[in-house]
Amino acid sequence: MAFYLIQTLNALSFSVLLMLAGLGLAVVLSLMNFVNLTHGSFFLLGSYIAVYWFSSGMPWWLAFPVAFAATGAIGFLLDRYPFSSFYERTHLMQVLLTFGLSVVFADLMRWQFGGDVAAPRIPDVLRGVVFILNIPFPIYRLFMIVFGFLLAGGLWFLVDRTIWGAVVRACVTDRKFLETLGINTKTVFTAVLALSAGLGGVAGALGSGMLAAHPGLDEEVLLLALIVVVVGGLGTFRGTIISALLLGFSFTFGRVWVPEYSNFIALAVMAALLVLAPQGLVVPKLRRV
Amino acid sequence: MGRFSITRRNFIASVGATAVAAPLCTPAIAQGVKPIKIGLVTSLSGAYAGMGESMRAGLQLFLAEQKNSFAGRPIELIVEDDQLKTDEGVRKFRKLIGQDNVDFICGVISSGIALAIRDVVAESKTLTFISTGSANDLARKAASPYIFRPTKTNWMLGSTAGQWAADKVSKSGCLTLAADYAAGREYVGDFVDSYQKLGGKVVKQVWAPLGTTDFAPILTTIAAEQPEFIYSFFASGDAVRFLQQFSDFRLGGKVKLVGTGALFDQEDVLPAVGDAALGGVSTYHQSPTAPASKAFAETYLKARGRLPGEASSSGYATGQVIKTALERVQGDPSNKEKFREAVLSGATDTIYGPMTFDPRNNQAILDIYVNEVRKGADGKPINTVIHTFKQVKDPGPGA
Repeated sequence: MAFYLIQTLNALSFSVLLMLAGLGLAVVLSLMNFVNLTHGSFFLLGSYIAVYWFSSGMPWWLAFPVAFAATGAIGFLLDRYPFSSFYERTHLMQVLLTFGLSVVFADLMRWQFGGDVAAPRIPDVLRGVVFILNIPFPIYRLFMIVFGFLLAGGLWFLVDRTIWGAVVRACVTDRKFLETLGINTKTVFTAVLALSAGLGGVAGALGSGMLAAHPGLDEEVLLLALIVVVVGGLGTFRGTIISALLLGFSFTFGRVWVPEYSNFIALAVMAALLVLAPQGLVVPKLRRV
Repeated sequence: MGRFSITRRNFIASVGATAVAAPLCTPAIAQGVKPIKIGLVTSLSGAYAGMGESMRAGLQLFLAEQKNSFAGRPIELIVEDDQLKTDEGVRKFRKLIGQDNVDFICGVISSGIALAIRDVVAESKTLTFISTGSANDLARKAASPYIFRPTKTNWMLGSTAGQWAADKVSKSGCLTLAADYAAGREYVGDFVDSYQKLGGKVVKQVWAPLGTTDFAPILTTIAAEQPEFIYSFFASGDAVRFLQQFSDFRLGGKVKLVGTGALFDQEDVLPAVGDAALGGVSTYHQSPTAPASKAFAETYLKARGRLPGEASSSGYATGQVIKTALERVQGDPSNKEKFREAVLSGATDTIYGPMTFDPRNNQAILDIYVNEVRKGADGKPINTVIHTFKQVKDPGPGA
């Protein structure tokens, strides 16, 4: 019993990571119809920032806002140039641009941080374990679960329940119409891209305690995030969250029961879902006039 | 105007070309000897980029110490990145052989690449030194007269770990956990063989897919299983994640970790995991505290600010082997048969310890160290030799 409870917590903590990585990507893809393959680079940069911040002696919790601000700022700059001129282009062009940039970023980060694995010094407060019926579970993972769901909840509230969110959603549905209302849609897109990059950075900072930071992590995360977004369906938060949970749980319980086939099982589940629901798990209701 | 008349454009071009080429030629002419060209193929991008950089640094350090000359001949080093991809590795070998006309090629981290280049170097009879790749087949079915192996095979580490575990750790309650690919399967297979031969009992075997990000489910399984010790193989990033999460789940004090050297590699694993690795035991052909590598460990620490692990040591040791063999043939590797005999004749003093080669498969016979991760004088974890298996020899082609 305790065993499965702990495994469920394990699954939740991995799902949170997938969810945060996926949300950043989903925001840009569903709201702006822009395929941003540099998202993994934001994640890795966030991880490196956290690793250095945790060992710098500054208040540890600041690592997350700092990672958010730094990657968000880079997102902002990238939006100025060259992303904005690609928003209207085909997906293939966007893929070419952003994939190329992700390779450049990977090299820049290797040059800056070296090729070695950098593991963070997790702050003392989060380092302990709680014993659940005699099986230890790290506090850091509980923190991840709570922080992750809070962040996702905050984002959902922002996009779904506030006037800013309404503007962004309107911008996706009919950009020209929104312009006639006197709203500069370019600014809206810039904000969304910076937000998404920042989310990638925070996800990386949070994930560093679990995955460490090293070259190649950017691609691993990007791939998982893409699976989450595609299976979840575009345009909904619920879809991304449900698909992150599904992927996280199938990976985890695959590793519990048949570790050597865990990748196969998890990806087979996702492929099956994609066949059964090609539009994604949750399809947004669209009303067209 | 004739075909070979000098036009103004041709003239400028040829003067320019001479001006560019002249400085490149002078050093060799000045010393009166052609340089020996050594190609180094290693992984400078991809998951093992850190190891690749260390391997290059190790070899460069040795070249610098020898003032860039072996047996009176200047050395020209050409470094190529195989990106940890088999086809790219083969392409780089072809380039070094066909375009650069190198005398030797060394390096290669991945066993997959080491297997793939075998026919390429056999065709051109290029003298090749595999510095790290350690699949058993390289010393068995895939051995080649032109490929030397100044490194361990997986069997040499796995079987010695089995002996050590059965004699010194426990004959019961063993769980094996390793990365699920060729190397992991070989290490664990050879470990289990020798462990069971000595009466050891394996409770459970767990395989984690290569590049596993989250070990939590497996670690919880281990916590519930409560084995006495674990024999494990992971490398580089996987090893760091595994050890970090192993200590996150508080298994550190409870379950003893025995592994292959890569799990606790001094350079690319220990600095990242810190105290999480303390108490871990591994078998390795390299140790910063082995008497043979003490001097190297100090110079390397001065040069790069950290102690050497396998990758950097392999670069350095390969340099030592090439140098010794070149001295035995008076700096002339053109007769390949003679060079081969020179490598095989007698021991070379390397930072791994004395190294002799098995004439059946050109595989090095090496001392294998049992390292325990302890706190060093500076408080940082260091692989400390607690036992040495003398002159371990791979069973070779017959096995």
